[in-house]
Amino acid sequence: MKRWGFAFRGSRRLAFGIAALCLSLGGSAARADETCLSPYLPKITGQEDYVYVYTLGVPGLGDGNDKLVTLGANPNRPGYGKVVSQASMPGRHEAHHGDFTDDRRYLWLGGLDTSEIFVFDVATAPGKPKLVKRISDFVKKSGGVVGPHTFYPLPGRMLITGLSNAKDGGGRTGMVEYSNDGKFLRTIWMPKEAEYGYDVRVSPDLNRMLTSSFTGKKNYMRPLGDLMGDADAMKKFGNTMVVWDFHARKPLQTLQVPGAPLEIRFALGPRHYYAFTSAALTARLWGIFRKDDGTFEAVDLAPIGDPAKPPLPVDLSLSADDKYLFVDTFVDGTVRVFDVSDPRKPVVVHEQKIGAQLNMVSQSWDGKRVYFSSSLLANWDKGGADNEQFVKAYSWDGKALAPLFAVDFTAEKLGRPHIMRFGQEGFWARASGSSAAE
Amino acid sequence: MGRGADDAPLYEPPAAGSYALPALARVHARELVDSTGARVRFPGLAKGQVAVVAFVYGSCHDAAGCPASLAFMRDLDRRLAADPARAKRARLVCVSFDPARDTPAHLAELRGLMAPQSDWSFLVPASQAELAPLLREFGQDVAALADGSLRHVAKIYLVDAALQVRNVYAPGQLDPRLVLADIDTVAPPR
Repeated sequence: MKRWGFAFRGSRRLAFGIAALCLSLGGSAARADETCLSPYLPKITGQEDYVYVYTLGVPGLGDGNDKLVTLGANPNRPGYGKVVSQASMPGRHEAHHGDFTDDRRYLWLGGLDTSEIFVFDVATAPGKPKLVKRISDFVKKSGGVVGPHTFYPLPGRMLITGLSNAKDGGGRTGMVEYSNDGKFLRTIWMPKEAEYGYDVRVSPDLNRMLTSSFTGKKNYMRPLGDLMGDADAMKKFGNTMVVWDFHARKPLQTLQVPGAPLEIRFALGPRHYYAFTSAALTARLWGIFRKDDGTFEAVDLAPIGDPAKPPLPVDLSLSADDKYLFVDTFVDGTVRVFDVSDPRKPVVVHEQKIGAQLNMVSQSWDGKRVYFSSSLLANWDKGGADNEQFVKAYSWDGKALAPLFAVDFTAEKLGRPHIMRFGQEGFWARASGSSAAE
Repeated sequence: MGRGADDAPLYEPPAAGSYALPALARVHARELVDSTGARVRFPGLAKGQVAVVAFVYGSCHDAAGCPASLAFMRDLDRRLAADPARAKRARLVCVSFDPARDTPAHLAELRGLMAPQSDWSFLVPASQAELAPLLREFGQDVAALADGSLRHVAKIYLVDAALQVRNVYAPGQLDPRLVLADIDTVAPPR
């Protein structure tokens, strides 16, 4: 067989091949898996086999520990819609968010209370992730960043946003970088005029990074009812987003987005230079648009539900074709699907109650399957009969969501399910007895 | 990458030296085999130089994999050739991670196709045993699949003269102007 087959047909074909290659790689969309992940993550094509669910332990429920739960997600494989495996961490850490390394071999998961980071091998046996590393000195190494929130894979490294700091437990915080093998690299503190942090997203096309802002540990670990009754504490929520030069990690611009802008989602299509976020306290959908001069503007686009109530928008998911934006609201347990084909004029095209409370949403790359989970924070989740803890899977046909399966995380003695990520058998499958890396 | 519909740049790269590139890892100097079959020092850097290293293999047909890396390296090669002063401070190296099938003769074919205009070498470890520690140090993942292909995430590395990896790039998401700025940041003109 000829080597270098992609380039072995003469210089003219090579030139054409390179041009075609460059065109095909023009959009970062082709590199992402479920639609909201880092553009640097390799794509799992087709059907996901597993949904990994990072789950917060509940005292007296099962072993009471935080855990990584693996659900079967492929109807053609055993264990569909069931718990396939679970791996517990020691203790409860306020399990929240996490993500894969850029090679999809490891899943990093963070605790907002203890700031512990747990690293799972998801490549060796995708149906049975294994805890392989624990990073317990995040606060010390970072110089005081607390509450690792968003884990964002970059080439060779992990970018982690903080929510708080060790000095006063307030919202001033930073971003922390680690190499993929767990070596601390640096801390980037948020700028003085926009000290709070939450999510981070990157657009390689624009060399721009966006961050948003939430609140500090004194607030997010406090029971929600107490917090909402404390007017002074309620003032300590973020109102800004920062636009960064991504390559240099330098803040360029601060945008005013009142009411705690949370999750950020860049549009995926080529030359779609905008992102969405939702402001939790004001229940508004915002667009962040690049202007012709290269700066950005934040535009208040639409209400989410009835802001007078307020429903507390939480997670977002944008479809791969930039057409549908799924927006969850925690208090009313509802998902609202916006048609964002015209990003400046979003229109709700579908609304559906998923449960008594609702937080995370993840969709497959082809947009046909959508998964929801229930838990927000241990001290903010509802009580009594409204404390439903679930992962629910639906099909989406562009008009309505139809149930596929549901897992009751309380009945299964698991805990409070939070972030979800997909896995696939065979992604890192080796030939028997051989690996170039071994 | 980094250009709009009218091919105008979407941003200006940050000025070289205006930002930091902390070391991610340290690698060891070693000998690899070049396209003539000779053992040569890798990365073979003099003081004040950097190496841009891409791991590739000859049977890769993933458009986002080795073809993307090679296309990027070729672009970089031409840009360096157009700037001789900078070209003296940078070496390009493509390393095959398939020593079983990518022989020096095959590397010579690739070299002929790429037609380097700057300091650009094509190397391969002499054996599988020499390959594993190299990949481990760089953090380049590779797995042999049942069909004989090698599953990997294409990455390109910037290595300084102290053998520290200073940046890692995804070739399908990369503007060459940023790599040039990194070269000037890590190995500034004297």
